[in-house]
Amino acid sequence: MTQEELQALTVNKSVDARGTACPGPLLEAKKAIGTIGSGEIMEVLSADEGTKRDIPKWANKKGHEYLGTVEESGYFKIYLKKG
Amino acid sequence: MSKLCMGLFSGSLDKLTAAGVILSGAAADDMDVEVFVLLQGARAFIKGNENKIDNLAEASFLKDEFLSSLERLKVSTWYEFFEMAKDLTNVKIYICSLAGKIWGGEKLEDFNDLVDDICGIGEYLTSAEEADIHMFI
Repeated sequence: MTQEELQALTVNKSVDARGTACPGPLLEAKKAIGTIGSGEIMEVLSADEGTKRDIPKWANKKGHEYLGTVEESGYFKIYLKKG
Repeated sequence: MSKLCMGLFSGSLDKLTAAGVILSGAAADDMDVEVFVLLQGARAFIKGNENKIDNLAEASFLKDEFLSSLERLKVSTWYEFFEMAKDLTNVKIYICSLAGKIWGGEKLEDFNDLVDDICGIGEYLTSAEEADIHMFI
């Protein structure tokens, strides 16, 4: 998806994990994905560089779809669709 | 579901923290985890010792920097990591009976709430043999 498409997504769940270092964002994502339904969209906000690779790999392994990442100033937003 | 077997020989704060981070990753992945606590590791699991662990196995001359960085980065304590992992996935923690005795732990009630049972070395090796991932810390 393009950056514009990602920004325009309607998000069912937003997880702000900017206050924690690895493995905080991954654990927050893991806990939050259980609260949404299949096909719903979740965004994870993280300021931890490791998360950028970690969450997409985790999502693919767990059967969720990684939609893309939007870089903001000092953090980024990772978009997932629950499988 | 994949299985992680961890031999936890170390009872120092830095290595326990590393073990905790790895367990968190395993929890995010819904892995089945078995931790076998050996010799030095068992001291950290004696009831009441969880907050007394403050020695580092490596770079101990930089302990103040290490501890203040953990605080600045809001990193959970090693005990919190283990608790979180147990909440999120199937994590069993077994104390090697010899290791327990060395630090005064003879029975299950001598250890903190993380511990599931006391075991022998044969079970550790069988677990390692059957696991997808085996690590020794």
